[in-house]
Amino acid sequence: MNLRQLIPVVFLGILLSGCQSKTKHYDLRGQVLDKDPATNQITVKHGDIPGFMPAMTMSYLVKDQNGFQQVQPGDVITADVIIAGNRNEYWLENLHITDESGRTTTKAGTVRRLDIGDHVPDLTLVNQDGKFFRLGDFKGKAVLVTFVYTRCPVPTFCPRLSSRFAKIQEDFAKTPADFARTHLVTISFDPKYDTPPVLRKYGLAYLDNDPAGFSHWDFASTNPDDLRKIAYAFGLEYFEEDNQISHSMVIVLISPEGTVAKYWSTEWTTAELENALRQEANAGIVPQQPPMRRKTG
Amino acid sequence: MSRIRQYAFHFPVVSAFALLLSARSPGASVQRGQELFDLHCASCHVDPPTYLKKQPPKLEGLFKAKYLPSGAPANDKQVRKTIIEGLRTMPAFDQRLNDRDINDVVAYLRTLR
Repeated sequence: MNLRQLIPVVFLGILLSGCQSKTKHYDLRGQVLDKDPATNQITVKHGDIPGFMPAMTMSYLVKDQNGFQQVQPGDVITADVIIAGNRNEYWLENLHITDESGRTTTKAGTVRRLDIGDHVPDLTLVNQDGKFFRLGDFKGKAVLVTFVYTRCPVPTFCPRLSSRFAKIQEDFAKTPADFARTHLVTISFDPKYDTPPVLRKYGLAYLDNDPAGFSHWDFASTNPDDLRKIAYAFGLEYFEEDNQISHSMVIVLISPEGTVAKYWSTEWTTAELENALRQEANAGIVPQQPPMRRKTG
Repeated sequence: MSRIRQYAFHFPVVSAFALLLSARSPGASVQRGQELFDLHCASCHVDPPTYLKKQPPKLEGLFKAKYLPSGAPANDKQVRKTIIEGLRTMPAFDQRLNDRDINDVVAYLRTLR
């Protein structure tokens, strides 16, 4: 191979090594608590993953199809957590079952939640200003709801949700008609810590310190009993252990009629959420026809 | 000067010195601090995801500057406050890290150049 032939090969090599550096691999070891064939995700209670997250329970997409079929709730597994360069995407590969003996001792099956088209529960929430409201108050608007807790330290979870909701807030503010027909609600499942003043401070950080933004985006919570009811309705799992809250990720789109229009878990993009929200908000709206010209002459 | 008066005179000086020592957290483990940092802080402060609303600052040379990225004076008290209470989009590590953990993390942060 002469020098001229070698240059493109070396260049390609550099390019490929650059691409490879955009994904990171971490070792995961934990116990599978749940498996959802609809989304190809498993919920794993795992140990510390330094550089990625402390020990917790969370849902992962499994790209290793063979591994996904074999794994069952209760199994102890090892796997590689693969994280794309911008941490928007992460999934499990090289899934190995190291202990099957727990299969019969843990729950199986997926979480129950409202079906698409079901009416959402009209429970009372309290927002960042201490004001009571209901999801039913937004009838006539498409509402995007998600769940966080303000102390969540895992950037791929609550900080990602709030950051992307902030982007949706900014983008919709550019089109006043869409802004007026939509609403965002972030519900904390940590009411003990996330009191209205804490939620207000948290919300302002995502609203560029402009309280006017709360008119389109509420940060709310409620009492533990109603919170359980809302979480159950939307299939959210959360539980407290070692001063941390392990939780799954749920985004739900509510139609202007107050029914469930769509769910997302960990796999979504901001554009996808914005398109669905815009489409739902404008679904029943007949576009205005330009005025008819009167015939003359 | 009586002996009591002598002690009374020295008491504030000794107390101030003791306070200074405690601020430096003697016995803090840099190694343990690094482990805690890798676990709780690195995912945002070493390689922050680009989609975050505010990009978390890199923490090299944190204590070399006069002020923290927030504009507060760069001292142990302010750094501890930020870790415990959080700041803007940074979550509070209250109840997640205890006093000893925070001392160790601060000791590690002091080694970052």
